[in-house]
Amino acid sequence: MSYLELAGLQKRYGASVAVDDVSLAVEKGEAVALLGPSGCGKTTTLRMLAGLVEPDRGAIRVDGIAMTNLPAHKRNMGYVFQSYALFPHLSVAGNVAFGLEERRRPKAEIARQVEDALALVRLAGLDQRRPRELSGGQQQRVALARALVIHPSVLLLDESLSNLDAKLRDAMRHEIRSIQRSLGITTLFVTHDQVEALTMCDRIAVMHRGRIAQIGTAEDIYERPATRFVAEFVGRANALPATRGPDGKVLLWNEPQPVTAPASGEFDVFVRPQRMRIVPLSEAVGAETVRVSGRILRSVFVGDHVEVLVEGAGGQLTVEMPSGSPALAEGAEVAVIWRAQDSLPFPREAP
Amino acid sequence: MNGAGPVLSGIAALVYALILAPIVVVFTLAFSADNFILFPPSGYSLRWFQALAGNAPLLSALGLSVQVASVVTLCSLLVGVPAALALAKGEFRGKDALTGFFLAPLLLPTLITGLALLLFFTPLRLTATLPGLVLGHMTVTVPFVIRMMATALANLPHDIEAAAATLGATPWRVVRRVTLPLAAPGLIACACLSFLLSFDETVISLFIAGPRASTLPVEMVRYVEGRTDPLIAALSVVLIIATLIVVVAVERLVGVARAVGR
Repeated sequence: MSYLELAGLQKRYGASVAVDDVSLAVEKGEAVALLGPSGCGKTTTLRMLAGLVEPDRGAIRVDGIAMTNLPAHKRNMGYVFQSYALFPHLSVAGNVAFGLEERRRPKAEIARQVEDALALVRLAGLDQRRPRELSGGQQQRVALARALVIHPSVLLLDESLSNLDAKLRDAMRHEIRSIQRSLGITTLFVTHDQVEALTMCDRIAVMHRGRIAQIGTAEDIYERPATRFVAEFVGRANALPATRGPDGKVLLWNEPQPVTAPASGEFDVFVRPQRMRIVPLSEAVGAETVRVSGRILRSVFVGDHVEVLVEGAGGQLTVEMPSGSPALAEGAEVAVIWRAQDSLPFPREAP
Repeated sequence: MNGAGPVLSGIAALVYALILAPIVVVFTLAFSADNFILFPPSGYSLRWFQALAGNAPLLSALGLSVQVASVVTLCSLLVGVPAALALAKGEFRGKDALTGFFLAPLLLPTLITGLALLLFFTPLRLTATLPGLVLGHMTVTVPFVIRMMATALANLPHDIEAAAATLGATPWRVVRRVTLPLAAPGLIACACLSFLLSFDETVISLFIAGPRASTLPVEMVRYVEGRTDPLIAALSVVLIIATLIVVVAVERLVGVARAVGR
C-alpha cells in the first residue's frame, strides 16, 4: 500500500465535472506533479486532498488512515497557496508560529522551531517584519516555512511559483526541490508549467478534463506520451497528418514511410522538433529513417537553438537545430529526416 | 484629464454651499444673545449654552439617548456579526432568502415600522422603556450591521481562512484569530454607524417614546414645537462637535487597524 492514496475522487459543480475519477498512489518521500492546463481539475484535486473541498465520491488515505471525512484542520497537511495567503495582521514569526500555536506547543519549543524553519528557508532575521514588507520571493518562503513547520504528513503546493519573476522562479524551484529532498517530505505539486513539473518532481501526473491522462517519470511523459493530449501539452511536437497508401503503407506528405499505423481510423504522427534534422535532398537515408521533403520558409535564431519552419506537401513543420549549425537559405529545397522510433502516431480528434 | 473642469467644480461648490449653509446659520444662532430666533442675531453671547446646561429634560434625554445607543450598538454587533459570518461564509439552503429577509427592514419606511412597533409593544408594556427603545432601534441597526459586515467579510483576502484551517485551526479559532482581526476596521466603522443611527433615530422613537423615557431627538422635536428660542441651536452645535470628534477618532482607529491589518 502506498503512503498517499487517492481513489476514484470525483467533484461536480452543478452539471460540470471538475474532477472525474482521479486515482493516484504516492510513495513516502516522493514528489509528484499534477500538471495540466487551467481548468483541468488539478487545483480542485489538491483542495480535496487538503479538506478544503468535499469530494462527491472517492477516498483519500494517508499512511493507511482514511482522511476523506476529516475536516481540514485535522488533516495535518501543509498547503502553500498560489496567493501565499499569509496572515497580514501577524509578523513573519507569527505566521510561521500559527500552526504550532494551534497545536498548543510550549512557547519555548515554538520559538525554537520557528527560528529553525525560517533558517531553513533563509529568512533568518526577518521574523518581526510584516508580510507586506517582504518581496514576493520572501513571502513565498514564509508560506513554505509556515507549511513545513507543522511537520505535515503531506506538503501541497498550488502553483506556488507562478507569481514570481522568471529568475526567482528558477532559484526557488531548485531550493524547494532540495528542501523537499532533504526533509524527505511527500509532496504534491500543482502546476501548469511543464518545466516546473519536469525539474521538481519524481513523477508527473498529466491531467486533462478532470482525469489523469498519464502518470510517469518525466522521461516517460516526454518520450512515450500515452495520449495525443499529453504529446501536445508536454514539450513541443509537430503533428503530421498521415494517410494510408493503397498497399496499407503509411504516407506522410505523400511519401511512404517506415511508420507503424494504428489498426484503424485517421491519425497524425507526432514528432518532437529537436528529433528532426535537415539534410540535403541528395543525402541517402537508411530504412529506419522517416524522410519528407519541403522548402525552408523561415529560419529564426532563438539563442540556444535555431527554429526552422519547413513547408511541404502536407503542411508546415518546425525543426529545432542547435545554434551554430550551418546557415540555411530561405527558399532552399531540403529533406527533413528523423528516426522511425521517434514517430508517435495518435488517432485524429474530431474537431 | 485630471480635475473636473471649471463648470463641474462650480456646481460642486454650489451644492456644498447649499448643504453647509444651514450649519453656518445654526452656529451663528447658537451664540445669539436674543430671546428669539432672529438671523442675523442682534448680539452675541454664551447664554444659550448656559441655559442648556441647566435644562434638565434635555440633559436627561441626552443621557438616555447615549445609554440606548450604546446598548443598541452592543446588541446589534452581537446579533449582526454572527449573522453576517453565517451569510458570508456558510453554505446552506435558503441562504439567499435569509439575506433578503434580513435586509427587508431597510426598505420599509420607518414610519410604518414605528407604527407597527407601537401596536406590537403596547400590549407588551414595552413602550417608553429602555428595552422597547433598544428593540425599536435595532430594527434599523441590525440590517445595517449585517449588510456592512457581510460585505467586509466577503472582501477578506482570498484563501486566508483556508490557510488557517490547513494549519490546524478549528472553524471557531479561524474566526477568532483570522476573520475578526482582519475585519476589525469594518467592525469599528459598523459600531460607530450603529451608535449614530440609534442616537439620531427620530421617527420610530416618536412612536414608542413617552414622558417616562424620551430620547434626545424626540425631546428636541417637542422643544421646538413649543418654544422659539435659540437653545436648540446651541445643543446642535454641541452635537455637531461631539460627532466630529467621534468621526475623527474613528478615522484614526480604522486607519490604524488598516495599517496593522493589511
